[in-house]
Amino acid sequence: MQELERVGQGSVRVTRKSDKLVIVEKDLATEQMVLAMGPQHPSTHGVLKLECLTDGEVITEAIPCLGYLHRCFEKCCENVDYPAIVPYTDRLDYLSGMNSEFAYALAVEKLLDLEIPRRVEFIRVIVSELNRIASHLVAIGTYGIDLGAFTPFLFCFRDREIILGLLEWASGARMLYNYIWIGGLACDVPADFLKRVREFIAYFRPKAVELQELLTGNEIFVKRTYGIGIMPADVAINYGWSGPMLRGSGVKWDLRRNDPYSVYPELDFKVVVPDGKLSVIGDCLSRHLVRAVEMEESLKIIEQCIDKIPSSEGFNSRVAIPKRIRPKAGEVYSRAENPRGELGFYIESDGKSTKPVRCKARSSCFVNLSAMKDLSKGQLIPDLVAIIGSIDIVLGEVDR
Amino acid sequence: MSEYFGNIKTGAVTIATGMGITLKHFFNAVHRKGDAGLDDVDYFRQVDGLCTLQYPHETIPTPPNARYRLNNDIDDCIGCGQCDRACPIGCITIETIKVAPDDLASCGKTRDGQQKKFWVPLFDIDVAKCMTCGICTTVCPTECLAHTPVADFSEFDRSNFIYHFGNLTRLEAEAKRGKLAEIQAKAKAEKEKKAEEN
Amino acid sequence: MSTTAFSQFSMPLLMGNSLNVWSEALVGFNIMGLPLGLIIIAVIPLLFIALYSLTYGVYGERKISAFMQDRLGPMEVGKWGILQTIADILKLIQKEDIVPTSADKFLFVIGPGILFVGSFLAYAVLPFSPAFIGASLNVGLYYAIGIVAIEVVGILAAGWGSNNKWSLYGAVRSVAQIVSYEIPAAIALLCGAMMAGTLDMQQINVLQSGDYGFAHFYLFQSPIAWLPFLIYFIASLAEVNRAPFDIPEAESELVAGYFTEYSGMKFAVIFLAEYGSMFMVSAIISVVFLGGWNSPLPNLGSFALNTWTNGPIWGAFWMISKGFFFIFVQMWLRWTLPRLRVDQLMYLCWKVLTPFAFISFVLTALWEIYVP
Repeated sequence: MQELERVGQGSVRVTRKSDKLVIVEKDLATEQMVLAMGPQHPSTHGVLKLECLTDGEVITEAIPCLGYLHRCFEKCCENVDYPAIVPYTDRLDYLSGMNSEFAYALAVEKLLDLEIPRRVEFIRVIVSELNRIASHLVAIGTYGIDLGAFTPFLFCFRDREIILGLLEWASGARMLYNYIWIGGLACDVPADFLKRVREFIAYFRPKAVELQELLTGNEIFVKRTYGIGIMPADVAINYGWSGPMLRGSGVKWDLRRNDPYSVYPELDFKVVVPDGKLSVIGDCLSRHLVRAVEMEESLKIIEQCIDKIPSSEGFNSRVAIPKRIRPKAGEVYSRAENPRGELGFYIESDGKSTKPVRCKARSSCFVNLSAMKDLSKGQLIPDLVAIIGSIDIVLGEVDR
Repeated sequence: MSEYFGNIKTGAVTIATGMGITLKHFFNAVHRKGDAGLDDVDYFRQVDGLCTLQYPHETIPTPPNARYRLNNDIDDCIGCGQCDRACPIGCITIETIKVAPDDLASCGKTRDGQQKKFWVPLFDIDVAKCMTCGICTTVCPTECLAHTPVADFSEFDRSNFIYHFGNLTRLEAEAKRGKLAEIQAKAKAEKEKKAEEN
Repeated sequence: MSTTAFSQFSMPLLMGNSLNVWSEALVGFNIMGLPLGLIIIAVIPLLFIALYSLTYGVYGERKISAFMQDRLGPMEVGKWGILQTIADILKLIQKEDIVPTSADKFLFVIGPGILFVGSFLAYAVLPFSPAFIGASLNVGLYYAIGIVAIEVVGILAAGWGSNNKWSLYGAVRSVAQIVSYEIPAAIALLCGAMMAGTLDMQQINVLQSGDYGFAHFYLFQSPIAWLPFLIYFIASLAEVNRAPFDIPEAESELVAGYFTEYSGMKFAVIFLAEYGSMFMVSAIISVVFLGGWNSPLPNLGSFALNTWTNGPIWGAFWMISKGFFFIFVQMWLRWTLPRLRVDQLMYLCWKVLTPFAFISFVLTALWEIYVP
């Protein structure tokens, strides 16, 4: 057998070792290709660009390029009054406007030391948990689309539509609510609202089961997500992950429990972490399962809130709203559990102006996305799609 | 080996389950859900079925408190300009002329009996800019500025999105302005006269 | 044109003695030395592909997917949106035919053509009716398996010629997929061929006819025939790039795969080719395992349902409705399942389908030898 050795890119080195032909595959060097995934790509969930260095279909490096949806949220906040920032917070994570408003209202209330009526607190929790379900429905549905299953997406949107209808009925708008105000609510919920929410819960439970059977139960779906993009708990904490992403890595961390706000301490719900039976802890399937089970937990929270809520008699949702919001000089950082993780607001006031000197949002999506480089190393392109989907980014919150 | 066959089995069973679900929906397509709004008592008693609404012909009813197109009832507007100041994006442009004392009667009162003290020759709302946050409507003292449930008001030309609500034509505004200037000049002259006398 | 052809046009056709009368009559149909009949034979499948993809393929798939997803589907153009496909075709015709500057123009242009020809050539041996087959080859099945591979060339030409990274990925994936899946598909079909003892598509059909209707179909003739049937169905999904094996055109990964850069009529031709091969594989599976143009209804005493529902026109009806049923199953699967990954696709092919195909091959052979 003739010894064949060619060195250089793209060469095959065949060496003869003790009469055995050994083909050293490592030397089969192929040219690496830069693949720009996005900003117009069906599965980057908006205008995200991933610059991938690929070797065949294997990704050696994927770097997210951000900023296509930057809208100067923080600068805008410095130029409007405190109450006028609320509609801007809706537009951060536009899939869960209520939760963002809630987080912002909490921050300013902390700065002002406001006492909030109990009914307001309960309504806030109800609407934000409803919005959490809507947001998780989008996450699950689009994850299905990323993996090629189209039908669950439309089932998710069918049910999300009802939630949006409920929130429209309460607040007057379908997605960008401006409902949770500093110190109160824009208005009380309509008379039949809580009854309708209860009916919705009864309607939604079987639908959620059907969705699980169709998508999560499917073996192809499990095979596509099982063991893909594993994030160990310590690395996840180091990256600053939060929300379903961190819980997917097995860390029992939920701000509704660990840094309780509003009426959450009174409510009974589980912090969902994967048990490792159905999935590898920290993989895409775990993150998906956390979201799927969290919807059920949110339903439970809503049910309890409806049971406990004080009656609307003599209730004025704006009673605690200050006439003019001009906090004392100082700064505050307050955080809340959003569907996508910890949304924190850092607000600095100079004590003179009705506008904040600085209002910084700590967005969960941005932080979660930062682990992309680690997660994508050595994955195939279909797996990269699965990983992006499981991070569940909303570019409005990433770029702000 | 058992894992191998187990995989094949779960694969087949779960695929069959999924196909059962889609087929159930396929045969359920003879029903349509209807277009009740959520404020309808029977909303959740509608049949399960196709839930598409063919938009221009059928619409989801918007609730009465829905916040969509801004509307200003100019007869009630006292021209205080609070909405203009409150609007986070500045989509409202307002210009006012003080009403001359002898015009007060013709300027009229608001619905709840408040005397209007300003002519509002210019009250423009750029609804294309408006983000329907509703802040302007909450500061409005006479509740003349309100969001209406009209959600579809698309236009082909962007300039059509600027809605004019002013209650004076340009000529009238000129006249009122001239009149006011006259009165003011007179008042000023009188003042100066008085000052001289003193 | 022979007079017997006309006389048999309307009355039920007796089996065996007068197979392929229509097509043979057309072969002899010459005007002024021009083989016009041959052209008509070629045009019939072409017309069929165009008509069926226009109606059932595009409109039907839209409606079926819509109903499975609680939607209405197209409703605006015409009553229930029937004319939607026509409107789409009009749009595609009017569109600018873009050839990217950096594309390999020759390959880019020829790609959709090869793709369509590949799927169309197999129609030559599809027996549409007892009286009609394009070319009654004695190796028809072999030809049908082989000619499909031409599609690979078209896909590769389209993907490489587009000079787009996504297209290239799609093309390379597609080649790997189609070439791999030919093996289980061919072996599974061989099981059917073994049961028939012939590769002639018409003969395979003739051998499956009888008084008991469906009981004569090969699917019910042996206790293991369901296995090659299932294997061929799964493999055929992969061969025509349908979900869950649509990785060459996986829209959420590769934008649109090998036809990302195509627009206008070239795009339409690619789709026509896809619908063409969808019916082609459905027709092959119904010929080999489900009796092709034979009526599934049995003769029940004096109710000679089978005899009444057999004949050239009934044959075409059964053939097309069996094909359409399998296309419905393909659509049904597509709107239910997520997509497999490349390595899982290969796992399924080499580690599941191929061994089982071999097993079923051996079992069928044993059955054929030892069970009369």
